[in-house]
Amino acid sequence: MINNFISMNGYGLYVWLSFGITILACAYIYYKTYKTLKKYEKDFAKELNLLSASEKKIVVEKSKIAAQILASHNKSI
Amino acid sequence: MFDFINPSNIFRLIEKFINFINSIFYILLIIALTFALILSPPDYLQGDSVRIMYVHVPSAWIALASFTFIAILSVLNFIFKTKNFNLISKCVAPIGLLFTSLAIITGSLWGQPTWGTWWVWDARITSMLFLMIFYILFIMAHKFIKEEDKAIKISSLIAIVGIINIPIIKYSVEWWNTLHQSQSIKLLNGTSTIHTSMLVPLMLMLLVLLLYCALIFLMKYKTEIIRIKKKNIKRL
Repeated sequence: MINNFISMNGYGLYVWLSFGITILACAYIYYKTYKTLKKYEKDFAKELNLLSASEKKIVVEKSKIAAQILASHNKSI
Repeated sequence: MFDFINPSNIFRLIEKFINFINSIFYILLIIALTFALILSPPDYLQGDSVRIMYVHVPSAWIALASFTFIAILSVLNFIFKTKNFNLISKCVAPIGLLFTSLAIITGSLWGQPTWGTWWVWDARITSMLFLMIFYILFIMAHKFIKEEDKAIKISSLIAIVGIINIPIIKYSVEWWNTLHQSQSIKLLNGTSTIHTSMLVPLMLMLLVLLLYCALIFLMKYKTEIIRIKKKNIKRL
């Protein structure tokens, strides 16, 4: 039964390659997208830390997005 | 007018959506793969090679739908000059390119055992290749044109010209004599000639791949918003 499942009655190579390529390509794009997102979050936090304490406070208070990016970055480290 | 799709309003929801999709995605993926690879029956003519359909067909549908969506947004962008439409298109394009490539590759892997060839220059397959070229041009326009307004204009034009290719892909199997089989599911009038035992795994795989697209789109969109905010950090 397992042999049948693997060989797919002679079509195993084509079926497994199709599913394998799809899953691998999707996983690779997910990994790359996730890495890029985290890199931008890190860069944003770094840029924010370059500001003076008062400037940073104003930015975080004024921009909800900035506060959220910072929170998301802090959660992931 | 389009204040509800303002990046700052959407940003709050993105994290919630990403967490929600992550929580159900892997369970749905396992269910869909079980149906596609184990529970669905082999075809009486094509045998087990028919299982390739469960990745090939949803990939092709997503590829076509993504480009149509991009073209609609490009037209709206020309009319309403809303940069957010362009931002959304920019995030959708790589997803469309991924699924166009997957549709072509899995189609080729399906073609070998059923037609006896990896590739033929017939209408459906060639028009899918053109779709891939349009996606590449769209992405390159954003990548290599430094002036943002110019990049938006050129990429929008590419999308609007490329939309002509969509009906050609869709009706190519009816207009020309091709190796590719005609449509078994007619989305426009909701009819299907596929048996339920194969339709269920097909729809499950479509759902899983759509959730994947949503996940990638949300992460890319979030990245774009952060990139814009970073550029204007002192003006926040």
